[in-house]
Amino acid sequence: MSIKRTLPVCLLAAALLVLPAALQPSQDPGVPAAGAPGLRYEIWVELDDAEKTLLGKEEIVWTNPTAEAVPDMLLHLYWNAFKNEDSAFLREAAAESMFSRGDAPEDGEWGWIDITDIRLADGSDLKPTLHYVTPDGPEHPDDQTVARVLFPAPVRPGESVRIRLEFRSKVPRTVARSGYYRDSFFIAQWFPKPGVYEAGKGWNAHAYHQNSEFFADFADFVVHIDVPSRFVVGSSGKQTGAVVDGAAGRTTYTYRQAMVHDFAWTADPRYIKIERDFIGAREVTPGEYAETAERLGLPLEEVRLPDVRMTLLIAPEHKGQIERHFRALRAALKYYGLWYGPYPYETVTMVDPPFRTGSGGMEYPTLFTAGTRVLASRNVLSPEGVIVHEFGHGYWYGLAANNEFEAAWLDEGFNTYSTGKVLAKAYGPGAMSFVFKGFPLDWFLRLPRNFDFELNRAAAINTVRYDPVTAWSWDFYNSGSYGANVYMRAATLLETLERLLGEPVWSRIMRTYHMRYRFKHPTKSDFIAVVNELSGKDMTWFFDELLEGTEAFDYGIASVSSAKVPLRLRGVYDADGARTEWTDKKIAELEKTGADAPGGPPQAAYRTTVVLRRFGEARLGGDARVEVLVRFKDGTTETRAWDGQARWARLEFVKPAEVASAEIDPSGVWLIDENLANNSRGADGLRRNVVKMISQQLFLLQNLFHFIGSWI
Amino acid sequence: MGVFKAIANGLGTSVRKPLVLAVLYAINVVFAAAAAVPFLIIAQTELGHSLLGSSVRPADLMWLGETALKYGDALPALLAGLLVAAVLYLALQVFLNGGVFGRLLDREGSATLAAFTGDCGRYFGRFTRIFLVSLIFLFLTFGIVLELVSALIGPAMKSAPTEWLPLILSNAHFLIALLLLSIVHMVVDYTRIAVVADNERRVLKALRHALIFLKRRFFRAWALYLLIVGAALAGTIGLSAVLGPLGGPGTATVIAAFAVMQIYILFRLLVRMLFVAAQAEFYRSHPY
Repeated sequence: MSIKRTLPVCLLAAALLVLPAALQPSQDPGVPAAGAPGLRYEIWVELDDAEKTLLGKEEIVWTNPTAEAVPDMLLHLYWNAFKNEDSAFLREAAAESMFSRGDAPEDGEWGWIDITDIRLADGSDLKPTLHYVTPDGPEHPDDQTVARVLFPAPVRPGESVRIRLEFRSKVPRTVARSGYYRDSFFIAQWFPKPGVYEAGKGWNAHAYHQNSEFFADFADFVVHIDVPSRFVVGSSGKQTGAVVDGAAGRTTYTYRQAMVHDFAWTADPRYIKIERDFIGAREVTPGEYAETAERLGLPLEEVRLPDVRMTLLIAPEHKGQIERHFRALRAALKYYGLWYGPYPYETVTMVDPPFRTGSGGMEYPTLFTAGTRVLASRNVLSPEGVIVHEFGHGYWYGLAANNEFEAAWLDEGFNTYSTGKVLAKAYGPGAMSFVFKGFPLDWFLRLPRNFDFELNRAAAINTVRYDPVTAWSWDFYNSGSYGANVYMRAATLLETLERLLGEPVWSRIMRTYHMRYRFKHPTKSDFIAVVNELSGKDMTWFFDELLEGTEAFDYGIASVSSAKVPLRLRGVYDADGARTEWTDKKIAELEKTGADAPGGPPQAAYRTTVVLRRFGEARLGGDARVEVLVRFKDGTTETRAWDGQARWARLEFVKPAEVASAEIDPSGVWLIDENLANNSRGADGLRRNVVKMISQQLFLLQNLFHFIGSWI
Repeated sequence: MGVFKAIANGLGTSVRKPLVLAVLYAINVVFAAAAAVPFLIIAQTELGHSLLGSSVRPADLMWLGETALKYGDALPALLAGLLVAAVLYLALQVFLNGGVFGRLLDREGSATLAAFTGDCGRYFGRFTRIFLVSLIFLFLTFGIVLELVSALIGPAMKSAPTEWLPLILSNAHFLIALLLLSIVHMVVDYTRIAVVADNERRVLKALRHALIFLKRRFFRAWALYLLIVGAALAGTIGLSAVLGPLGGPGTATVIAAFAVMQIYILFRLLVRMLFVAAQAEFYRSHPY
């Protein structure tokens, strides 16, 4: 099917004629007025819902931002990851026996993208130079997710090049959040997209890996989406037009957005579309503004939140959860905005993904997908958690736009940390999500409630020995290690850092990092520099030891004991020219005499010995110390600090009372410590909660055995 | 005899035989306690001297994470031990069922330990054969009938337009599985009742008696079975209501919660006895 048949020629011509004007950035309140400095797209795409294909035309204006002449361009063709089992994505998925998110499509359900024509604006045909490249090494020689074209002449520094291309894509049957089910479509990573040109390094364009997400330059987009009129469409950006072709039964929607680095859209005839406004003045009280401004040391005007148009596309069967969706999005807009910086775009579109499109829980600029079930418990923070999380990506990957291939933790870790904070603030702890046959078990059982940081830590301590958090996405041991490290361990480390540096300093660090690198591509070094600058300390050791390292962090109490200090110690002593032997009997007599003396016996003294150990290989650095709190039975306490460099340390106290307990890190600063049970040691034996836990365990086993016995 | 009368009489018989309940409870506690020992050792080793022992919550993610880290490698061995215990428990139940059925069907007879164990030995061979026959029924149910049901609903599940259809079909499948399982249980129970009540030495003949009996009054027999299931469910809901307020960490509440849990186990075992006694009443009042 030709794109010309369904896209009216006049529309196409008009669009081309007014392209420069069309590519002007919109007037979003927080977006730089000049728009993207070096990259502009205009795309016309037509959905053939019967054939499950896209036909597209694309114009890319790229400006060389470096002082180097650039002879070529690398383009991502992500959908070729779903073309055959030789792609890096599917080969890596097949290599894993578990944790694989990308099972290969079934027969007839493959997806791909072909560039059918590519040339410069002057007509120079680049197609003969088009070839696939494997920038990540020879492991996947037949991967076709990155292509290279050669320019007739190198693009000089500051020079712009205008590329016009046509593409044809087959929509996959849902792999990695792109695809279709029946007549529902979620279209992401769908258009040919240049990599990021880095001075001195060349094009940064990695293959589509199973564990990788994405990296692209900020750009100004104008996208015309042509679909059958029965479809409800949602997209990145702001809708600025809709042209209905009644005869063809099709509608072309135009969306624009400046300063974003990706563009996704969705179409489904069944969507219910609801629009509401986030009104900053209504959502945030004057007191909250004042407190935020004071905490961050900013003028009040800088923390005020702009109004945002919220759009929800939701499946009819989830209609009853509309309010839950908007409440969560409002909380996310409010707290991300207050803590990290105002949301800079006019719109945000929240998509409850169509059934079985597998597109839930993913972020795109100004659009994200959530996901829920028809039967959802109110005590389980779902869909709330996924809404807050995916919206939050808009702040990290979306604005402080790190390279997700090479440093996924800067997005996923920061956002997992932030999600937990917002959920805790807006909702408190949530019940664990267990479902049986579609029914939340929370409806029948009293399930425990937890904060996100507790779950994050549980994963974090179990994954440290596999990989450093900072590994490149496809270099992790497996998907489990990738997820646990870049999401949960990174989040736990950020939470630890917050506790270590204190909330006031930390909130300024996060705000400064975000705003300083908004619309840029920060790296780990950029974040460390902000931490060091705002904290006034060199915290590089923290990142070297805990982020780059793969060793356990575990400080603990090895032993605690108290012994009465006798009035004299046994043995032979020289005094006044005489030699006296102090025996047990003599010492006992001395103590008895003392007891009978006027004024009563001398106060008993106890020598308490507390042995600390560094059980893990990772150690503290800089001026960091672990605190040790020793409690005595007379109610007194002693506090010490240990630099934690040696494998162990012995603390001694002589006090009138025996020790009651000793605790290392009593304030719980070192959340990353992998064994909190050994952080304290008390004089008592079996604990009440242990008894309770065991009795419940016994009960569980009794029921299990009874169940087994009932089978016969 | 009506269904309710059979249940009432069965309940009367069950409560008059506390020894049977005591034996079943003792065996249950012994097995569960033995299986709990590794967990007790872990909890005591890790938390016995830690202040965390005073604040740790059931299913505490912070502690569970640490336990997984430290004992994760031992999990297969722990599960294997649990599996062995489960198989032993299952075998022991085959033996004990002789005593349970023997004593409960001897409505007026005494339930001494000697009589109980005597019945265990007397019926062990026959009940073992019934157990083997029940495996065939279970295979027919899960291996064939439910697979056919799955094959029937499979295409509809695969092409479902919304979430509702798979949800409904999957739950319907599950419900069918439960109902079929209840029928298998019922057949096996009536076979054992036939063995004891008719002193039938041939298991297949007893099975035939049971099937003929059920064929003539299937729905009433099934209603009786499901009514007792309903009572068990009501008891479980009651447990949940009672245990809720007993979630605190105080010594008194910990002891009270433990007591309630044990009462619930006794209730479940009593329900198991009620199944036998009530179905026996029903069987005897309707000669096949």
